[in-house]
Amino acid sequence: MALTGRLGLLALLGALVPLLVPSWWTLLALWGVLLLGVVADLALAGNVRALRFHRTGDTSVRLGQSATVTLTVENLGRRRLKARLRDVWPPSAGATPRTARVDVPAGERRRVEMSLTPTRRGDRRAITVVVRSVGPLGLAARQLSRPAPWTVRALPAFPSRRHLPAKLARLRELTGAHVALIRGQGTEFDSLREYVDGDDVRSIDWRATARRGDVVVRTWRPERDRRIYLVLDTGRTSAGRVGDIPRLDCSMDAALLLGALASRAGDRVDLLAYDRRVRTRVEGASRTDLLPAMVHAMAPLEPELLECDAAGMVSTLMARVRQRCLVVLLTDLNTAAIEEGLLPLLPQLTARHLVMIAAVADPRLGEMAAGRGDLAAVYDAAAAERARADRRRLTAELRAHGVEVVDAPPDEIAPALADAYLALKAAGRL
Amino acid sequence: MVTQAPPQAPAEPSAGQVARRRWRSSRGIVGVLFALAVIAVVLAALRPTGSNEQLDPTSAKRDGTRAIAELLKQRGTPVTVARHASEAAAASTPRSMLVVSRSERLTDADIERLRSTPGDLLLLAPGRDVLAVLAPGVTSAGPSFEETSDPGCEMPFAKLAGRVKFGDSQTYDDPDEGVGCYKAAGSPRLVSLIAGNRSVTVVGSSGFLTNEHLDEEGNAALAMGMIGVPPSVIWLIPDKPAAGSGAGDKTITDMVPFGVWLFFLELVVTVLLVAAWRARRLGPVVAEALPVAVRSAETVEGRARLYRAARARDRASDALRSGARERIVPLLGLPRGSAQDPASMHEIVAAVAVRTGREEAYVGAALYGPEPADDAGLIALTDVLDDLERQVRQS
Repeated sequence: MALTGRLGLLALLGALVPLLVPSWWTLLALWGVLLLGVVADLALAGNVRALRFHRTGDTSVRLGQSATVTLTVENLGRRRLKARLRDVWPPSAGATPRTARVDVPAGERRRVEMSLTPTRRGDRRAITVVVRSVGPLGLAARQLSRPAPWTVRALPAFPSRRHLPAKLARLRELTGAHVALIRGQGTEFDSLREYVDGDDVRSIDWRATARRGDVVVRTWRPERDRRIYLVLDTGRTSAGRVGDIPRLDCSMDAALLLGALASRAGDRVDLLAYDRRVRTRVEGASRTDLLPAMVHAMAPLEPELLECDAAGMVSTLMARVRQRCLVVLLTDLNTAAIEEGLLPLLPQLTARHLVMIAAVADPRLGEMAAGRGDLAAVYDAAAAERARADRRRLTAELRAHGVEVVDAPPDEIAPALADAYLALKAAGRL
Repeated sequence: MVTQAPPQAPAEPSAGQVARRRWRSSRGIVGVLFALAVIAVVLAALRPTGSNEQLDPTSAKRDGTRAIAELLKQRGTPVTVARHASEAAAASTPRSMLVVSRSERLTDADIERLRSTPGDLLLLAPGRDVLAVLAPGVTSAGPSFEETSDPGCEMPFAKLAGRVKFGDSQTYDDPDEGVGCYKAAGSPRLVSLIAGNRSVTVVGSSGFLTNEHLDEEGNAALAMGMIGVPPSVIWLIPDKPAAGSGAGDKTITDMVPFGVWLFFLELVVTVLLVAAWRARRLGPVVAEALPVAVRSAETVEGRARLYRAARARDRASDALRSGARERIVPLLGLPRGSAQDPASMHEIVAAVAVRTGREEAYVGAALYGPEPADDAGLIALTDVLDDLERQVRQS
């Protein structure tokens, strides 16, 4: 039940009556009239209890785009229902319209289209549907709140997918027709074929030539079916914002580009998100399923405000992957976190796997280091130089352990990581 | 990862802008408060300033009437001061003169008591209810602000007194019986009549009797004339009626009509109904966990502030120099590692000196020198390092 402003207005106007006829009876009569109006309204208002809600529509949406969720209101009652309806979503779901008017004749259904534009990644759950049906006099309304569950998953925006065609073109250069012409583009033996003018004489397979009586060359191709293990660090360092975006989101973007590229290149890609426990895992996804699986696995991930447990991460990795693979660790080059956590465990990891660390650099450091003029700016510059020196030292230390390090600002980290992968592939180091 | 251009941080508003914005948002309230203050001051200024001793024949203050009392005594007429109507009634004799001042303090019962007194009456600026009982037939006709007035009647004492300065005064309708004097716009300020078997004089002003004004124009003469030469004068100046004495124990709530009570009761009900209307929202308030917002460079900024707070010029200059060396060394074609290696100091300094054409001592002081002596030195050091780096880059 809900009262309306009209009732308050009537009560206010009614306050003039006892001034004219000062008697208790006047007042009681006035209240009686108002009460009667309220009771009549409640009795005559549409029956909100007879409503049933059904939902259809999108269950996932890429961040920055709009999803449409349709709420169907079914009136099982015997009377027509005119009501105001509010489909309640969390604020970050960006649901519009906030309220809608519905007019459902008895036994019929009407649809209410909700447009959702989430402002943050993750799952957005519909909380409830509230219907308020005002009676014919407009004095009181019947109100009911009933859950109509639905979840819309806001997926990572994956803005770096625009780099994918360029990287795929480079990949095709490695795998495609050029292989025949340029030796050394791959390291894996592919096939034998007849010599054509222009082939590198060093690629002639003399044994086969002797057997066939014709000059035969070996062709090479890049390795396929290698395993790539993407590890997302969701610990405290991933919460820091670079620009206005959490570091974790930049890492996800880079991981998605690398995953898309590697799966097209014929490699198997797995994903692990870890801080002190496994947050999410994508393993054994087929080539076509990989990207949707990764995107869905990443969507609800949020940075946890605790120190990443490097030992746990390494042991999880070692337990899950036996054969050699490329481990891409997306984290931050934070001196304290890496030196105390990961560095002592690196030999264990590098002994079996090829390790690559991708870190998002903060452009703000560069701005601060370039600061000149007044004392505050100079001290800022000094602190930034110090931070950069720490980062350089850490990078050198990691490289000394045989780790590939990709350190790039947020708008370059995804293509830089893809390039590093392609370089490894071209060099046959996978 | 595509970074959106960081949203333009709104410019920090200046103190003036802040003050203007606050003024704009609060000027309504300030205006209302100011208006209230002005109204309060005006009301306070308009409040009647009558003191407790006004018209008191024992008071020698400006607004007392001791002067007239003394005059009467000198003439041999005793003046009895009555502080209550019953005292006055008790003292009253058929030949006495009862002067009724401050009659607004009389309760209805007091006025009734005075009606039954035998002697003559002089009513000083009486109220409506006093007039109705003690001077039947005299009705008030509005105030007059003419300061002075001529008698304009045949009353002997008025003719003797002549011109009188009344100040602000009440006027009365010309009575059917009795005589009206000192007219303003046709309405007399002084009415003398016979009520029952006594003479009643009503005068619209009491100010002319006070110590302050008694000596002006014919004030004193009129006063003496009105009182005349009775064997005794009873000057009634009632005290404020005590609570519970009959009048004045009606509180304001007793006087509010019943309908108004019902009106307010209905208003309360209305407020409750409106509150119920506004309180019932369409659906719950949705709480949502928000992500943390920590800038990645926050620790670096914190370190910079610590440097500044501690005036750590040594640390700062070290960091700046090693950063500059780190950038210069690859340009010189030397191994990267030598930038932080003290052993290759001479090599680097010499190479930079050759490339820039500067003296080795200058270059050495810039790249490896001691900590700057003061803050200006630190700022100068950054300029020198920038210069060297640019020259190496351009050479």
